Formats: sequence, structure tokens, C-alpha cells
Amino acid sequence: MNRIEIQYFAVLRERAGVSRELVETAAATAADLYDELAARHDFGLPRGMLRVAVNDEFADWSQRLAAGDRVVFIPPVAGG
Amino acid sequence: MQPFAFSSTPLEQERLRGELADSGAGGYVSFEGWVRDHNEGRTVQRLEYEAFEALALKEGERIVNEAVARFGVTHAACLHRLGSLDIGELAVWVGVSAVHRGEAFAACRYIIDAVKHRVPIWKKEHYTDGDSGWVNCERCAAAAHEHDHGHDAAHAGDDFASLHHPHGHAPVHDYSRQIALPEVGRAGQARLAAASVLVVGAGGLGVPVLQYLAAAGIGRLGIVDGDVVEASNLHRQPLYGVADVGRPKAAVAAEHLRALNRDVRLEVHETLATAENIDALVKHYDLVVECTDNFRAKFLVSDAVVRALKPAVFASVHQYEGQVQVYRPLPHWPCLRCLWPEAPRDGLVGNCAEAGVLGPVPATLGAMQAMQVLKRLLGLDAGEAPSLVTVDLLSLETRRLIAQRNPQCDHDAPGATAVAAAGQAPLELEFGTLAEAFESGLELVDIRETWERMHDPPGLQIPTHLPLSALVNGYVEFPTEGRYLIVCAHGVRSLSVTEQLRAQGLTEVYSLRGGLAALHS
Repeated sequence: MNRIEIQYFAVLRERAGVSRELVETAAATAADLYDELAARHDFGLPRGMLRVAVNDEFADWSQRLAAGDRVVFIPPVAGG
Repeated sequence: MQPFAFSSTPLEQERLRGELADSGAGGYVSFEGWVRDHNEGRTVQRLEYEAFEALALKEGERIVNEAVARFGVTHAACLHRLGSLDIGELAVWVGVSAVHRGEAFAACRYIIDAVKHRVPIWKKEHYTDGDSGWVNCERCAAAAHEHDHGHDAAHAGDDFASLHHPHGHAPVHDYSRQIALPEVGRAGQARLAAASVLVVGAGGLGVPVLQYLAAAGIGRLGIVDGDVVEASNLHRQPLYGVADVGRPKAAVAAEHLRALNRDVRLEVHETLATAENIDALVKHYDLVVECTDNFRAKFLVSDAVVRALKPAVFASVHQYEGQVQVYRPLPHWPCLRCLWPEAPRDGLVGNCAEAGVLGPVPATLGAMQAMQVLKRLLGLDAGEAPSLVTVDLLSLETRRLIAQRNPQCDHDAPGATAVAAAGQAPLELEFGTLAEAFESGLELVDIRETWERMHDPPGLQIPTHLPLSALVNGYVEFPTEGRYLIVCAHGVRSLSVTEQLRAQGLTEVYSLRGGLAALHS
């Protein structure tokens, strides 16, 4: 199990009800982590529409996670 | 006589005055700048003036010609001394003759202020203690602007007070506070004045972008917006007032910006950005600022700047958050599609009308966009890595996420902005009135939010209402068959929904072009 710090933006923050949380997870990749959280928070946004950043850099969904990583899920935003 | 000249011998103001005489002129105003015996607490013994002559002559001549054109005076001229001058000597002379005194005073003031700001002249002060120092004249002009520090004398055959408020003519715009930055300087100001910027969308983001760019003295600003000012815009678009409601945004914005800074050439494009017009618009500007509230337009702009090899600054807001992305046409810089390969659909994440927003949120993001524009134009972004910056105005946290070009991205694929392919029915239909739309045989579906329908006139209501927020969240579903005309306020959200429904296999679904706003009552 890895302890990962997660930050949410926009609609994901609304759905999750928090802007950040610390999770203990067995998820091996960013994709696994999103799927786990999407099920828990009922995100309803397909992963393909989002971007994930690990430790302040945009990453591929296949990126492997390590303990202490900071993961940010970013949906696109349109308002102006 | 020459409009602007330098002289290394004492100026003969009487002779110059004679050259401006004209039988049609009813007045003459002159200004004389004298060498003063003190500056900032130090006693000055003499002065030396030096100029970058080739450039200075051109700029001086431009200023005098501007004054003649702007104020409609008969003749104007300016002469500046160079070399070593003693206390009390005449350093600079401006003379203007005109039909009436008002414009003569205004033009005279304009010329001396502009010469001090814009003409590259340096002044070396020799102090009684043997020390000396170079003083840039624009700095001394900046100080004079706040408190007349008295080394100027005005000669006029009329009321002196009018020199300060010359009959309604606005004082000259003063860039001294930004020129004072070592990274800006006069050269930087000249770069801004030579630049042209296209701002797409004059809403919550566009308003601060336009205000700060106009105020900074960008030479040419294009404003693209096809909407009118609505009362519900004012809380986050304070460039507009209640009296502007119902008037076209782009034109109203230009009007207010003109009042802010007459140095800026404003170009009004009263249209939405479309696949048909975006390339022609982008072509005429150095840089593009994307300030719309929908993905369709954002991707249109991204595709166009990629094709035209122009830098662009994107931003978006959602409730209390926002994102900023700078695009530069360099090999390793990502475009909008690199970041969002699966072009997002409008409605999936709310815009301001649906999700709500506080004014300072787009204001902050818009100001950040304006700053990125100035950075680019002034060359202050050397070594900057491409990134997406997220801003949360509730927690006051910003995060800079390093982004890379996506090797799989084709950068300007018309995915999200696909126009109807040949042989396919058009996505949009145009109607003159709501009655005509009802008579079309299509079922009208209003996808606006409930609050947007509250002020619809009685008898002009659309019975079928499926609010976009409910559709997006899956609370209601669109029927899988039937013939529909999707309707919203301006035709942007409805077009997006229509595209999605077509993609889902519904063939006879259309969007009302321009939305309800485009209908005649």
C-alpha cells in the first residue's frame, strides 16, 4: 500500500466534496488510482477526458505510482 | 520649417515664432523649458544634453505631426538643444499656432509631454560639488506629472489655467510607471506600441485582458465578440455599465477602451469566432488571447494559432478555479489538443451561465493572461517551460504543472470543431422568429437552465425543457428518435449538444443558429 496525496479540480472537487485527500492505495498506476477514486466518489467523467499530473508534471495514465507521490486530476474547464 | 529639430547653438525663439504665423490663426501658444539651478535637492551648475539623433528626429517629427492631426492646429514645431547649457538657458521650445486657443494649448502640452516621454534624450547634470550624473528625461517627466517641479515656464497670451485642462482634451497617457521597470524601459514600451493583439471574447476574462492591454499601450487591439451586453454579465465584466445592456459587446468595449487610452488602435469584430473566420482574424495579429467560455471556440483558436504559427494565451474558469496556458509556436510546446487529446464536450463541465461564478475569479485569470501577453511581447519569458497553471481562489493555491507536447497529437485536427461533412445535413438552422421555428415541424427543445427561462415573454415559451445541466449529469436523457431543434440563448451550447446527438446517431437534430438572441421578436 502506498500513501498518495491527491488534489482535485473543478467538477471532480465538487463530486469528491474535498479539494484534497490522502489515500492508502494498492493502485499501481495513475489509471488504477483514478478508477478506484471514480468508483468511490461517483465521478462520472471518463478518464480519457482528464489529465493527470504526478509531482507537478503531466504524466501518462500508465505512470507507476510511488509512496509520497502528489497526484492531481485535472478536468478541462471552459468558463470565461 | 522642420517640425522637430536639434540645435547645438542657442535657440532663437523669436525667429521660430515668426515662422508659425498664419493669417488664419487666432492664437499662438509656446512652451519654454529652461535650465534650472537645482534638482532633487542638489545644486546644479550646468547641463549637457545628448540624443540618439537619427531615432530622436524621427520620433520628434512623429509627435509634432500627431499633435497637428489630433488637435487640428495650424502649425506646430519643436526645437531641442544639445550640448552644454548654462543655468537659465533655453533647453526646449514648442510653438503652436491655431484658429482657437483651446487646441493650441492642448497641442502644445501634448508635444512637450510626448517629447519628454518618447524622444531618446539624456541629460547630464553637473553639480556644484563637482559631481555629475545622467538623468533620463522621461523620469523627470514622470515626476513633473505629479507635482510640477518648476523648471518649466509657460508663455501664452491667454489664461494659464487652460494649460492644465485644455478645453476638454484628455491629458496624454503616461506609461512612466511601467517604463521605470529596468526590463521594460523605452525600448520595451516601443515594442508594446508596435505590437498587435487579438482578444477573442470580451467577457469575464476578456474584459481585464482588454483593459490592461489597452492601458499598457499595445499599438493595435482586435476585439472579437458576437454577443450583446447582458445585465447578468455586469457583476464580472465591469467594463460595461447598466446603460450598455442590449448593445453589442465588441463595439461597447472599444468605446470604453478608447476613453481609457487614445494611443491604442481598436478593431471591432462583431462576430463569434467560427471555423470560417478564425484564420482570417488570427492572421492580422502578432498574438492571440483566448477568452471565450466554450471548448468549441477554444479549440478553434488553438487550431488557428497552430496553423498560423502565432503565440496564444488561453484561460478558463470554473466557479472558484481557473487554468492558464501559454502556447508558443516552438517545436516542444504543447497546443490545447496536446493537453486534451479527447476534445472535451461543452456542457460536460459547466460554463459561467450554468455553474455560477464570482467576478474576481475571471478577473484574476484575465489579469494573468494580460501579464503573460506583456511577458511575451517584452521578451521576459526566456527559459520558461511550457505549463498549465491552475489557480484556486478559495485556497489561494496556484500550481504550475509542466506540460509536454504530445507526439500523437496532430495539433490542428478539426475534431471538436468539425463542421458538417459534405452530404450531411447542416448542424444549424436559421429562423427569423420563434413562430417560424415552431412551424418547421421540428420539436423545439430548450436546453437553457431554469433561471434563464424566467424572463421569457408569455406566449413565447418553449414547452419542452431539458436543461443542459440535467442532461450532462444524466438526470434526464434525450429521446433516441424524433426531429428536434435544440435552442439556447446564443446558439453555442445548442450547437455542442447537436454535435453530440448527431455523434450518437440522431440524424434529424439541429441547432438554432445564434440562439434566441438572434430571433426577431
